[in-house]
Amino acid sequence: MGKTVLIVDDSNTMRKIVSRALRQAGIDFDEILEAGDGQEALDVLGANSVDVVLSDINMPNMTGLEFLKAKSEDDAIKDIPVVMISTETGADIIDQAKALGAKGAVKKPFTPDLINDTLGPLL
Amino acid sequence: MEFAQKISATTEEIFATMIFLDLAVAEPLTQGKEDLGCHISAMIGLSGDFNALLGIHCPAEVGLAIGGAMLGMDLDEIDDDTKDALGEITNMLAGGLKEAFAAEGTNLLLAIPTTISGSSYKISAPSGSNRIIIPFDLEVGRFYIDLKYSLS
Repeated sequence: MGKTVLIVDDSNTMRKIVSRALRQAGIDFDEILEAGDGQEALDVLGANSVDVVLSDINMPNMTGLEFLKAKSEDDAIKDIPVVMISTETGADIIDQAKALGAKGAVKKPFTPDLINDTLGPLL
Repeated sequence: MEFAQKISATTEEIFATMIFLDLAVAEPLTQGKEDLGCHISAMIGLSGDFNALLGIHCPAEVGLAIGGAMLGMDLDEIDDDTKDALGEITNMLAGGLKEAFAAEGTNLLLAIPTTISGSSYKISAPSGSNRIIIPFDLEVGRFYIDLKYSLS
């Protein structure tokens, strides 16, 4: 059975680019879901079976870090792995993300190979 | 602080990894900085150890080519997709500069990108600030990366 991924980014362009990178990386997802901020992501996770989440950090309404915290407090979704994809990949912010449960981070700009290397072990 | 070198290196990385358009960097402008003949601009603020406004300015056909290459589709008008694409470029560029400066102990915070478009506008820097404009040439035409900054 194929996998389902959720891409969380306030930029429609970036969501399309990440989708394309997943295809180029050769990762076989049955379904690619999208959300425009952390709150939308929580709503999608509540209504769908998702195998992995790729999330931006800087977003309006609910940031990636706020999303990680809220997700960690919900037993139904807390174990779904999240990888951060962001321009913000300094050690301080990545340490915060990992403390909140993130399994890895990919810096924008990124290559499909980098997405594959980071996401592959989680699937 | 080698602003020009950092801007060039980060721009080249973005175009090589996510836009896939051949790019040639030209010498920074020394004149004609206020009237670049552009129709779409995206800008993002940086604050911290220095304050800056970083932007990309494009003629319409160049903005459409860049946005189309990012999205993997043909764009024929400056719409939300084009603006979003250029906003993402400034976001990635600012993130790259932030990382490069952080490695030297200079810390910055990023704002949210803003995009404007129009048939005619001028871009000025506040008096007392510094400004670097670097032209980049694509097959379809020239765009500019613009950094206005003041040291805190």
